[in-house]
This record gives sequence, structure tokens and C-alpha cells, in this order.
Amino acid sequence: MKLYRVQSESGDTFIVAQDQKQNKDKLKTENNEFEIEYVGQGRREGELLLRINGEEHSVVVENGWIILDNARIFRAERIAELPTQEGQSLDEMIKGKEGEVMSPLQGRVVQVRVKEGDAVNKGQPLLSIEAMKSETIISAPISGLVEKVLVKGGQGVKKGDILIIIK
Amino acid sequence: MPPFSRVLVANRGEIAVRVMKAIKEMGMKAIAIYSEADKYAVHVKYADEAYYVGPSPALESYLNIPHIIDAAEKAHADAVHPGYGFLSENADFVEAVEKAGMTYIGPSAEVMRKIKDKLDGKRIAQLSGVPIAPGSDGPVGSIDEALKIAERIGYPIMVKAASGGGGVGITKVDSPDQLIDVWERNKRLASQAFGKSDLYIEKAAVNPRHIEFQLIGDKYGSYVVAWERECTIQRRNQKLIEEAPSPAITMEERSRMFEPIMKYGQLINYFTLGTFETVFSDATREFYFLELNKRLQVEHPITELIFRIDLVKLQIRLAAGEHLPFTQEELNKRARGAAIEFRINSEDPINNFSGSSGFITYYKEPSGPGVRVDSGVVEGSWVPPFYDSLVSKLIVYGENRAYTIQTAIRALNDYKIGGVKTTIPLYKLIMRDPDFQEGKFSTAYISQKMDSMVQKLRAEEEMMASIAVLLQSRGLLRKKVTSQEQTRNGSGWKSYGIAMQSSPRVMW
Repeated sequence: MKLYRVQSESGDTFIVAQDQKQNKDKLKTENNEFEIEYVGQGRREGELLLRINGEEHSVVVENGWIILDNARIFRAERIAELPTQEGQSLDEMIKGKEGEVMSPLQGRVVQVRVKEGDAVNKGQPLLSIEAMKSETIISAPISGLVEKVLVKGGQGVKKGDILIIIK
Repeated sequence: MPPFSRVLVANRGEIAVRVMKAIKEMGMKAIAIYSEADKYAVHVKYADEAYYVGPSPALESYLNIPHIIDAAEKAHADAVHPGYGFLSENADFVEAVEKAGMTYIGPSAEVMRKIKDKLDGKRIAQLSGVPIAPGSDGPVGSIDEALKIAERIGYPIMVKAASGGGGVGITKVDSPDQLIDVWERNKRLASQAFGKSDLYIEKAAVNPRHIEFQLIGDKYGSYVVAWERECTIQRRNQKLIEEAPSPAITMEERSRMFEPIMKYGQLINYFTLGTFETVFSDATREFYFLELNKRLQVEHPITELIFRIDLVKLQIRLAAGEHLPFTQEELNKRARGAAIEFRINSEDPINNFSGSSGFITYYKEPSGPGVRVDSGVVEGSWVPPFYDSLVSKLIVYGENRAYTIQTAIRALNDYKIGGVKTTIPLYKLIMRDPDFQEGKFSTAYISQKMDSMVQKLRAEEEMMASIAVLLQSRGLLRKKVTSQEQTRNGSGWKSYGIAMQSSPRVMW
């Protein structure tokens, strides 16, 4: 059982738990679970075949880009294995990493609505960022206490910057 | 003989490129303007000439009238095309262009001032015989007055910026508390985006369609209506998917609107392209006037495809004083098939459509029968956070709506953009939705279905992340050099000296 943080090239972060047994992997994320079997090389140069939840799919890896069924693309900027504590349940592992709120875009912080020590609920607005003619409200990904606030109103942020840490 | 020799396009991104294509095809020189953030943009490279107009913020560059006029004069332009957004409905800009001795490709400043905001448009609509939604009769001066009017016409209401456009400055309000919250924020946004903070109130229609009609007129009082476009698939009043003709409207209903729309144009002496925007109720089968857009529309390509005309070229010719080249009867006979347009926005549908800026690191465009792409980006382009999030438009065409949807699914699968989030995955889900396929939707479509669609989109993303983990753990994620890629030869400077010294000529 291994835990990974996948940072996608367009700024998203996923926590994935992997349980590998020979050709079959069970992979669990926050909301979904996948059973993926590595079937082997495909019939064309560079093609790989995977059986995902019982359905066969074709994958091509091109300069780091994963192209699924010639219809979806994905690139992981970084896949980092995360340390885990013995006896910790899978859900506890995943939740521990999801309290870090990252900026989904580049813009300017308009208003920070919480302060350190506040209790927040999942979905509660934390702050708003202004960019591209509109104001984007960043909500809490999990319930918990605000441990650290790393930005203030008027500050510019980049995509992927950590804004707030919730425990 | 082209009507002008040099045309400056006062815009950026995909519309600038599209307008320049028409200008070049007409044998004229296309001139671009750009801001600091757009130094390397596609529209700058595509133009015959380009001029810097200021730093990145829109108010200092693409909304900077003196700098744009200065650039146009330096370029010796004899016409200016505004595109859409930015200064395209700004009468002060039109006046500045006219005073500088250039032709504005659009209506004149005088015509624009007759309907200088949405409220003037409503008054003219009443005169031309089109129903309008109840609401305030003019700008609302204060929150107290707003609360009284809202009480009188009943909730839900729409709070709108009188000078607004592009769906910005429009908010649906369901209660007095929400109205109090919304009022100051909308004033600020309206002032920021449009320079004026006037707001007004209108009764909100429940589950309507958004239908717009393409009005075309010349300077001599001739008008045609190039049918309608269905713009109902919206999110927070921002259009996402548009199609022509509407799947919900009969020829009789469409024809019934031609005369009042033309009368509207006559009343204000309108010329070039205008868009008559309405709300249509499936229940009452009635159109309610919203506003007249005094510019080329983002979604003009779907009208172009069903009629096989180039609206930009037509706009340029009409602005130059030519007569309308067809009658309404001729136009009706030209209509063929169905077209759907997808606005490819750099937004994340999973994260409440938050904007996504960055470099385009992977870019593959669809092609093939019935597929058109108007794009403002290529691989390596920078999507800046300063402007609208629209990066390109995918337009598909088929002999009927069902075939068009099939083409759309194929083309959306072929359209691959990496580096920024886009709305493409959402459109794939919408195309497969039975309600969309049967043409049963309203402007509430996105808000009603968004929760389930976000779940599916998130599952798809998490599946891709899981595949990445699996491939990495099996060592399959390393870069592959395909047989078609050849190792590039290194510089020869290291070996040149030795090669020369070993040359027989040197030895000799």
C-alpha cells in the first residue's frame, strides 16, 4: 500500500492510494476507486492496454502526456510518494493531505474571510480571488480548523500556491 | 476593389485572428494592436503589422482609446474593426475613430447613442411592438428604491448593469437579503468593467430560452434578419454553447419576428450587424426583448455556416457604404442544415468555472468535414489572466441537428488542449445528454445538471491521475522517442578544428 500526491500539469492535486498485486492495481482517490489491470503492449508502436473497471482502454504516452483512447490527455507534473503512518486508515491518509488549499488560478486575493483558529465546514467560502473579469470564491475542501493563513487581501497569487492549511 | 486598404483590428485573441482573415481575403492589410501580456500572441504574429498600446491591464491597453487611435494613425489605417467586447459598443470610441478620419466598421456614434444602454433599447423595443419584461423604467438610484421595485414586480428579479455586455453585470436575485448583498458588488463590477455603475431591475423569467436574431442592415434603410441563434446553454449569463437554427422554434414563429426587428432597426437608422437578444418562453411562445448588441457576436460563425455567408466581410462592405446584397426571401432559401458552436474557455468546470491561466503545453485541433476552429492560441501560447477566458471556438456543422451532434462528439474528442483547464470535457458530457439531444433545455440547464456532471468530470480526472500512478510505478511514464523523431545533430564546433587539421589540403 503506497500513497502518492499527483500534481497535474494544469494545477490540480490528487491524492491516490495504490495497492499493487502483479498485474492488477487497486487505486483509491478521495471520491472514487478504480481497479486497473495492466494488460500489456498494444498492437501499435507505443500503445499500452489497460483494463479499467473491466473495460479495455488504449493508452499512449507521448513526451510525458498520457493520451487515453485518443480522446483525453493528462500530464503529471510531479508524482511524489508520501510517507504514511502505520495503522492509519486509507481515508485518514487521504484526508491528511487534502487540507492544503491551493490556488486554482493566477490572480489577486480580494478578501480573506477566515483567520487562524477558525472552524470551517466543507464547502465554506475561505477567500476570493479576482481574475479574468470575475471573482472566484475558494471553498474549504474539508471540514476542520484553519491552522495557517498564508495570504492577505490584495496579494497576488500564482496557480498552485498554497493559500490556507486546514487540519 | 477592396473598400479599404488598411484596417486596424482593435481587439485580441481568436476574434482578432478571425477578423484579420476576412480582411486579408478582401485584399486589405490587417493591423493588430497588443498589450504587454500579448507580445507573443497569435494575433500579433498573424497581422501584417502590429502596434503596442500599453501595459497588460485592459483599461491601459485594449480599452485605452487615445493609444489605439494613435496606433491607427501611425499605421495609416483607413478603417477600424472593433471585434466584440472591449470597445466594440463604446460610442466614445466610435466618435474618436470618426474624428480621426477613419471608418468605424459598425454603427455610427450617433446610432449608438440612440440606444446608449439597455434601457434605451427597451424603449425603442416598445415602439417597434416587441414585448418587454416588467421592471424599473430607468436606472435605479439606490438600494432602497431597488427594494421597493423588487417588491412590486415580485421575486425572482434580474439586477443588470445598464452599460453591461457579454453577460457581465447580470445577477439573478431571489430575496431582499440577497439583493442587499448583490447591489454594491454589482455596482463595483459594472464600474470596473464598463466605466459606469448604473443598475436597473427586471422581472426574471422562469426557465426561459435565450434566443437572439441576427439583424443586418445597410446605410440606406434595407434590412434582413439572418434567422436566430439559440444561446440557452449558459452559466451565470455567460453563453457556453450556441446553435443555429433553434431546435425549439418554428418557421412561423421565427418569421413573425422579422418585421418588428426590422422596424427596430429603422427607428434608430441602424446599419451593419446587430443582434436582437430575447428571452423566449416555451409556455407562452412569446419573445421578450432584452437588448440590441451593436456589434459582431462571438457566435456569428453558426449563422455563417447555415447561410454560407461571411458576416465579417459583409460587415466591412456595409460599413463602407455598399447595399445589402440579398433580400429576406433569398436569405430564407439559403438556410441549410444546423450548426453548433462551443466556446472553449480556459476555465475549470469542476471548480465552479474558475479561470485557468498559463502556457498551452499541448494543442491539437480537430478538422474534417463540418469542423471549423477559430483559435487565438497555438502550442506554447500564453493565456494571460487579464482578459476574457475565451481561447478558441469550435464550430461544427451537419445536414441536420443529429448529425451535427455526432460531428461535435468526434471533434471534441479530437480537440486536445493541455496546460490550462478547459470546458471541453463538460461539452462532451452535454453532447451525450438526452435532454440536450432532444432540444429540451432552458437557461437553468447548467445549474440543474452541474452537480452530476461535476461528479462525472471529477471521476474522469481521478481516473487519469490513477493511470499516471500506475504507469509511473511500472516505469512506463518515461519520455519515448518515436521512430519519426530524429536525434538532432549537435553543434559541430567541437569537431570542426580536428576535422580541418586532418584535411588533406591543410596537410599539403
